[in-house]
Amino acid sequence: MKRFSKIYTALILIFLFAPIAVLIFFSFNSGSSTSSFSGFSFRWYVELFRNGEILNALKNSLILAVASSAIATVIGTSAAFGIHHMKNKHVRSGVMTATNIPMMNPEIITGISLMFLFVFVGGLLGLSTKLNFVTMLIAHVTFNLPYVILNVLPKFKQMDKSLPEAALDLGCTPIQSFFKVQLPAIMPGVFTGMIMAFTMSLDDFVISYFTSGVDFQTLPVLIYSMTKKSVKPTIYALSSIIFVIILVLLLLSNREKTSAERLEAKKKRQEKKLREAILRAQKSRRQLENKIDESYESSGGNRWRPVHKIIAGVAALALIVTLCVTVGIYSRNTVTLNVYNWGEYMSLGEEGALNVNKAFEDYCRKELGMRVKVNYVTYTSNEDLYAKLSSDAVSYDVIIPSDYMIARLASEGLLAELDFNNIPNYETCISEDFRDLYYDPENKYSVPYTYGMVGVIYNANVVSEEDIGDWDLMWNEKYSGSILQFNNARDAFGTAFYKLGLDVNTKNSADWEKGLEELRRQKPLLNKFVMDEIFNMMESGEAAIGAYYAGDYLTMVDNQSENVDLQFYYPSNTNLFVDAMCVPAASQNKELAEAYINFMLSEEPAIANAEYVCYASPHSVVYNSEQYKEDMGEDAMRILYPEDFDFHEAYDSNCFKDLDADTKKLLNSLWEDLKIN
Amino acid sequence: MTRKENIKKGSPKKPVSRIGLLQRYAAAPHIVWSVLFVVAPLIFVLYYAFTDASGAFTTANVSAFFTEKYLLIFFRSLKLAVIATAICLLLGYPIAYFISRSKARTQKILILLLMLPMWMNFLIRTYAIMVLIQDTGIINTFLGNFGIDPIHILGTEGAVIIGMVYDYLPFMILPIYSVMAKIDNRLIEAASDLGCNGFGVLRKVILPLSKSGVISGLTMVLVPSISTFYISQKLGGVDTLMIGDVIEQQYTASNYNMTASLSLILMLILLIGLAIVNHYSDDESGGGMVL
Repeated sequence: MKRFSKIYTALILIFLFAPIAVLIFFSFNSGSSTSSFSGFSFRWYVELFRNGEILNALKNSLILAVASSAIATVIGTSAAFGIHHMKNKHVRSGVMTATNIPMMNPEIITGISLMFLFVFVGGLLGLSTKLNFVTMLIAHVTFNLPYVILNVLPKFKQMDKSLPEAALDLGCTPIQSFFKVQLPAIMPGVFTGMIMAFTMSLDDFVISYFTSGVDFQTLPVLIYSMTKKSVKPTIYALSSIIFVIILVLLLLSNREKTSAERLEAKKKRQEKKLREAILRAQKSRRQLENKIDESYESSGGNRWRPVHKIIAGVAALALIVTLCVTVGIYSRNTVTLNVYNWGEYMSLGEEGALNVNKAFEDYCRKELGMRVKVNYVTYTSNEDLYAKLSSDAVSYDVIIPSDYMIARLASEGLLAELDFNNIPNYETCISEDFRDLYYDPENKYSVPYTYGMVGVIYNANVVSEEDIGDWDLMWNEKYSGSILQFNNARDAFGTAFYKLGLDVNTKNSADWEKGLEELRRQKPLLNKFVMDEIFNMMESGEAAIGAYYAGDYLTMVDNQSENVDLQFYYPSNTNLFVDAMCVPAASQNKELAEAYINFMLSEEPAIANAEYVCYASPHSVVYNSEQYKEDMGEDAMRILYPEDFDFHEAYDSNCFKDLDADTKKLLNSLWEDLKIN
Repeated sequence: MTRKENIKKGSPKKPVSRIGLLQRYAAAPHIVWSVLFVVAPLIFVLYYAFTDASGAFTTANVSAFFTEKYLLIFFRSLKLAVIATAICLLLGYPIAYFISRSKARTQKILILLLMLPMWMNFLIRTYAIMVLIQDTGIINTFLGNFGIDPIHILGTEGAVIIGMVYDYLPFMILPIYSVMAKIDNRLIEAASDLGCNGFGVLRKVILPLSKSGVISGLTMVLVPSISTFYISQKLGGVDTLMIGDVIEQQYTASNYNMTASLSLILMLILLIGLAIVNHYSDDESGGGMVL
């Protein structure tokens, strides 16, 4: 039996730690894969400390966790004190129920309900940014409060009732009695509650996801957008560091606890002495008062063990930093430019490349004499962007949506007309091919950033040559279980429409039904509906066939596993897109936003971005640059810029246009039917 | 001042009434906070659930839930969450018992080890599971070395259940352990002395005494499991859509009314379930978490 229990415990621990071990192991991978190990290196640890986005998110998470746990500890401790002394049972149970709601409710509901409140109240107050640091702070304090209260309340129950009474009898004011007598007694509970609140806040994803705004992104929210794509080992490196820190802290606090127990015994003895002293009080009150003071001072002194002192110090320091940062963010000297972009869609200094946002900040300081801070936040889909923008939840200055979304935003009055006097580079760099496109017929709202085409990617080690053709490959039963389809209604229906030769912008509902039929036929063959997860699944060989953007195919080839050979072709009809830089109508810094767009069109940043993103660039300086051609390589150039290709014509006949409301509704309901049944 | 005067002067009346005042208002900030940020948001959920995009009253969003497709998803979520919770209980109960009967020092170390994974970001942990179990993942590559064909788990309901069990198992073990640690060893010895066999001890002594821990463990695993969207997104496939996924999709599609109605119904079902469970468990405090 003994042996069985040991083996069993070991097995459970292996189960719990295996993924973590894998994660730590792959943080030392010299390659960028998270599934095949190519050699030992510290590369990703170096990368981590260069990655401004991750470090910034980490800083934000720490600020939020310290601030919210501190506030929750103060309110919660005082609440526990009040609840403990409540005499009316109904009031008490009512308050306890309200306290328990955030713990009992699924996190998703707490998050959504708070989001509703913030958006609604923000709308009433006419705020331009309805979700920001403050709303996140409120959300975190809200779900932290129960943890503090439920840890402190039992300590009040355990406390000897005669202690505060004795203190009062001896002339303490109620406040003195609270701080000198009760607080030291409940301190362990307060401390545990605060630590729990801190870690809960640090690790929270779901509630933050629904209440986070543009100017404050926490680490879990960033990780979420990163895990949509293939995760780089950078984030593994960060997790490993965090793991080691926590391990050390837990070991330390465990040692601390054992010595704390000894202290507990000592304290009990002291309390006993104290009680004796109270008895003796009838003889000499003055004498006794001195004694009490002494004994509490010493017990209070004992509680503040070195580790506690350090933690309290760190907490205080962090609070000060928070204040400074908050003041920094809102101070007038520095202008913050909020840039909202797709994930991994701009060169931010990874692997020694130019950090275009830093370069812009430098440019502003030197050329314009302005202190500008670029606040860069990412989204995962056009719909994501639309959800945030249309709810008025946040205020951005520069966004980079796709064509059909630009049309939709413009028609709803959500985009500002650009002043092209502030964007002189536009005239010289953007060729006729990329002007007068349907989404912005008068070239008022947008400056093209990238363009590209969807093609079919396949693993040549699995797919045989003769099966390659048009869209049929994605419906080929031979490869059942290895095919990926877009997890996005418009793109998925697009593949079916191109296959059937239907107009992708049709208003005819019968056509949409046909598309649904075609997708229904395909569904049993699918491995999964994916968006950016396709990177990982194709690179590792988990799936063999999928449609995605040409530029992304190039990224996949760079990261493919040894036994995978990814190839690519364009079907005869396929989706073309343009992503373009725009300024939302609600932008507070329109001129600066235009300066930013202009800066991104200048040679160095434009090439850096094009090389990083790997999509085709509409920028004439970029695609004519010898340096660029050499860096990208011949194969990539051939795929990105097919010869004898008339972009304008192909675009007009095959691109996605914004659908009218009824068709959109139909599309969404058909899509739901497909996914659910 | 003489001692007697002092005692007279320090009449108990004044401080007591003042401390009464302090006690009465100490909870006020929390109550105000709860009303503003716990109760009021739920009223907004109710408001959005029963209105349409133009703000007019409608029951369409709520009645939409009771159509085939949403019910199918709800029962799938319930099924997966219940299976995951049951597995957590089966795996967690024995280990909680083993730990609670080991030496104090061992207990401390084991509990520490159990809690350690919870301090890692759960998104990353779930992602690591994915890397582990995918067809080309570490487990299957390892099996491949022995000529075993890859086991296809990723994308199935099984993978989602594995993810839930992995992420939430400590939530089951810790409350059960914290209740079991309080069971006096002498009770168990007495039961055996009086002729109970191992199974009898379990059924008549340990199970009844650990009931409150089991109940709080069940709720702590079931609630996050049934409402998850990340686990099913990462580990699930074409046919593993869960109610959390649909809520998140509706939110991303800016359909606040449907988001609200689905949230409302999920919340009501869970609250009713919890109320029933609490009704049958006599101990209100439950096991709680240990730290």
